[in-house]
Amino acid sequence: MKYKLRHQTVYTYVNPVDNYQSVLCLEPLTLPTQLCHNFDLTIEPQPIKVYDRTDFFGNTQHYFSLHESHKVLKVIASSEIEILPKTTVTISSITCEEAKLRFQNDNALKIEVLQYQLPSQFIKWDDEIKAFAETCLSPSTPLFEGVSKLSAKIFHEFQFKSGFTSVNTPLKTVLKERKGVCQDFSHLAIACLRSVGLAARYVSGYIETIPPKGKPKLQGSDASHAWISVYIPEMGWCEFDPTNNLIPSDKHIITAYGRDYADVAPLKGIIFSSGEHKVGVEVDVIRED
Amino acid sequence: MTENLSLSLLNSYKKTINSYDEVIDHNGQVKPHWRSLFDTLESIGMEELELRNQEIINKLKENGVTYNVYNADNGGNRAWKLDPIPFLIHQKEWQNIEKGLKQRATLLDLILKDIYGPQLLIKKNIIPAELVFDNSGFLQPCFDVKQKLQNQLLIYACDMARGPDGKMWLLDNRTQSPSGSGYALENRTVMAKVFPELNKNIYRNRLSPYFNHLQQTVATLGNLSNENPNVVFLTPGAGNETYFEHVYLSSYLGYTLVQGSDLLVRDGFVWLKSIDGLERVDVIIRRVDDEWCDPLELRQNSLLGVPGLLQVMRMGNVAVVNPPGASVVENYGLLAFMQNACKFLLDEPLQMNSVATWWCGQTKELNFVLNNLHRLIIKKANRKQGFKSLYGRQMSKEELERLRKMILQSPKDFVAQEEVSLSTTPSLIDGKLVPRFAAIRTFLVSDGNDYKVMQGGLTRSSPVKDKFVISNQLGGLSKDTWIVTDTPTEHYERIVVRKTSSNQHNNSLTSRNAENLFWVGRLFERTMALTSFLRIVLDRLNENVNDKGKKQQEYLVVLFKSITHLTWTYPGFTDEEDDSILENPEPELFSLINDTKKVGSVAYNIQSFLRTSNQVSDKWNVETRRILNLIEDNLQSLKDSHSINQVSHSLDKLYTRLFAFYGNIFETLPRDSGFYLFEAGKNIERILSHVSVLRSAFSFKNKDVVEAVLMEAVLENHHLLAQYRHIYKSHWSLVAVLNMVFLETNLPYTLASLLDALSNCLSKLPKNIDSNRLNIAERTVLEASTLVKLFDAESMIKADEDTHYRTELDKTLEQVFDLISNVTGNLASLYFNHSVIQHSFLDTIEKINSDEI
Repeated sequence: MKYKLRHQTVYTYVNPVDNYQSVLCLEPLTLPTQLCHNFDLTIEPQPIKVYDRTDFFGNTQHYFSLHESHKVLKVIASSEIEILPKTTVTISSITCEEAKLRFQNDNALKIEVLQYQLPSQFIKWDDEIKAFAETCLSPSTPLFEGVSKLSAKIFHEFQFKSGFTSVNTPLKTVLKERKGVCQDFSHLAIACLRSVGLAARYVSGYIETIPPKGKPKLQGSDASHAWISVYIPEMGWCEFDPTNNLIPSDKHIITAYGRDYADVAPLKGIIFSSGEHKVGVEVDVIRED
Repeated sequence: MTENLSLSLLNSYKKTINSYDEVIDHNGQVKPHWRSLFDTLESIGMEELELRNQEIINKLKENGVTYNVYNADNGGNRAWKLDPIPFLIHQKEWQNIEKGLKQRATLLDLILKDIYGPQLLIKKNIIPAELVFDNSGFLQPCFDVKQKLQNQLLIYACDMARGPDGKMWLLDNRTQSPSGSGYALENRTVMAKVFPELNKNIYRNRLSPYFNHLQQTVATLGNLSNENPNVVFLTPGAGNETYFEHVYLSSYLGYTLVQGSDLLVRDGFVWLKSIDGLERVDVIIRRVDDEWCDPLELRQNSLLGVPGLLQVMRMGNVAVVNPPGASVVENYGLLAFMQNACKFLLDEPLQMNSVATWWCGQTKELNFVLNNLHRLIIKKANRKQGFKSLYGRQMSKEELERLRKMILQSPKDFVAQEEVSLSTTPSLIDGKLVPRFAAIRTFLVSDGNDYKVMQGGLTRSSPVKDKFVISNQLGGLSKDTWIVTDTPTEHYERIVVRKTSSNQHNNSLTSRNAENLFWVGRLFERTMALTSFLRIVLDRLNENVNDKGKKQQEYLVVLFKSITHLTWTYPGFTDEEDDSILENPEPELFSLINDTKKVGSVAYNIQSFLRTSNQVSDKWNVETRRILNLIEDNLQSLKDSHSINQVSHSLDKLYTRLFAFYGNIFETLPRDSGFYLFEAGKNIERILSHVSVLRSAFSFKNKDVVEAVLMEAVLENHHLLAQYRHIYKSHWSLVAVLNMVFLETNLPYTLASLLDALSNCLSKLPKNIDSNRLNIAERTVLEASTLVKLFDAESMIKADEDTHYRTELDKTLEQVFDLISNVTGNLASLYFNHSVIQHSFLDTIEKINSDEI
């Protein structure tokens, strides 16, 4: 499957900004299951230079700074993505308890997964979250089955509602109100997994949306998306999308992996200015035949 | 004979010793390397020793040596405490200690590089992976920051104390931005002054080579990008606990003291925002903790760091001492694995033992700790979690049980250490020599491949008996630390010679400091002008014999009101409804002088002046600092004054000291932009205060007798009374007075002179545009100056017959006042443009107005 991907972010400031420092995490990864071609970054006003680097987690980040006074900042990332057929892996019957022990006793494995078992900036848990997790992830449940159950439970019991939460909304609140967006659901699912000693990471990316029957697809109608990746011994990292209750196949495009959103935020910045700003984002994931 | 001499001072001390002592051996004799010290102290005598101790206190205070204590009432400074009895280590022993310290520094450097590199230590199971990934000092964005020298750990401080076996044990590592070396240097300086006889009788190693090595390392680091590196010393600011040291060291080392907001990342380099424009920075010595260094990639809400700093470091365009991320090796848990790490990385055993440490993340160790809680010290592996060390020995059964549960909740977060009995050393406390526990902080600096050790250190001893409380936060005492030798050691110092070239940097003036200096000038003069005018009014008040039942003298009424106008303390004496305040003016006058909470009062102004001066204390020399301390004393004596007489006396004293401050500045400050901004601030304030008094005195025509007194007071306020009398004798003419006050250009306090002085200051400041054109501030002053110079006294003094209002005079003075008030804003837009606020954003997907998924 091939896609043309375009991600545009526009910041509008009330007062002019004279100094802006930014790190972008917008370049889709090239992986055994996904190829990223012709990545291009257009920034207005144009910075003198954009520096790219591979971060600790293997993602590509771009740094730039702006020093001329501006009131609008536009960042457009575009690329062509090719999703390759996935090799099917036999589902392992390893239980949650067995997996947990494996993480403790196999040092090489421990080093790979430990940072995805610990609390992180946006992912912290309490007894309530743990109790919620245990309804799906009891020690004797096969891990793969448990994660599928957790994903389904979040999909069925939570309402997708944008504007209700922000990145700083504690997961407690998300759990209590049963509302949120893909980012909250992913953070919650990860918190559940980590609370019972398992390893899970955050995936930042895109998903292709299909317009209602008979209607044309509108420009900018797609969006950035988030889901999770869980380490299942004997299978490796396996992805689940709790927002849509499915296992990502050829409609998900992966941009970056991290412990949570903080590691892979598409656009991080420090501005020197006073006053408010507004953000507008348009994403297009166009299938190429 | 000599032994007896030493011992008499230590006789009572000897009896109180109950553990290994540094000075007295097990036979009750003074150890040889301490003998000479105690012989000298003996000859000084206990009484004199007390006096010298007081002298130390005074010296430290004079030099402004403080240690800020967090959470103290009024968040104030605490005076630094220095015990007159130094801590001595003999060179022979020291050589071994040095080896151990160097090995430890080398080891920590290798561990640091491994953690942010190949991670063999965890891969080979030498240290547990938790101590890397669950280590709050492990900062992922730093993994690809490598500085060019072989050693990444450039400065290192190590706390050590003597264990029960008589050997030095390592207690703690400081790797991110170790403090204390400046205090060590200041301790030595003060001791050398207070005890000159000790300098002669004892051979001790010098501290300065350490600082020379540091300068060389910094020069090497900067030299990679610039022949004459521009070095800055980054402080979190005046609120930091060791701010004194930042000021002291930056000035000793010759580096510009800056805060995060003084720096800027642009075009792949770090720049200093100076009043002359942007200056490239090559090396940053930082006292800002790791995660606060770069809000873009580390702690987002940090206002102490420099956004984009890590990226510039990755490009190799700036060097930071120590690089952020270094705190990863400060984790207490790692202490338990040092022996194995040393064997693995260096293939040799540890030369200096760490205090025995158990990390509770391992089953066997956890069980040991739980079974021995009552005799261990419990800490969290990660520092800075607001967790105070718990001493099992001091805890009740219930408390131990609670601690046990807490550890079991998350064992990997905890570390236990053996509570060793440390050695004691004599401290002078309440006039007696008493044994106290002590620990020594030693300092190392890398030359790129190897480490140099400071020949001395900072010893801190516990203020309470049998307790090990050495932290300055908790009131610990410090000691000068001597490495003593039997014979004098030759020392030679290599002096870092800067190559001359076009981009030679003087101590740069940051925009922030430029603004501070301007305000020091304003606040200084505001205090001065008010003090001066109050003295004039108080004199008139004291001279006046008020007849009972009669209303207050009219001239006093005008003068009182002038004070209210001058200080903006409305309604004050201008209350139309209630003029009883004029009959009984003392309470209001008192509060205008000594009420620290009353905005505009003398006391309030002194406080603001001192606070702002403290922000730029790196600009002051020792004398200026001493005068500032004296002015601070004045504040106290003003607060303690209860009669007009006492207050007048205090004001006189204050006035003299303010003049001393100004005189010292005028005679010693280099004539750079900082000086001219200070002068500009002073002149602006002087013009404003004099114009204010002129308006209050003469805007309304008064009876001739009243006006005569006012003329006299105004002339005195302008320091012109003698001149006037010389020319006009006792003839009072308002035209003559105003002509003199406005127009005389050879008298310093006239408006014409002050405006000339102000425009002269402005002309010396850097020009951004064509140097022939006046900038906005200069134009404003020219306009005011023109108004003053075109002044025609004859027409100005005409008053309305009914209202007695002198319209022309008042309007002219008002215009001058408004114009000069605007100059501050003009200067801010020209030079102080640094105060924009920094925001961080990390937008969430849902905050974005996109469609749902």
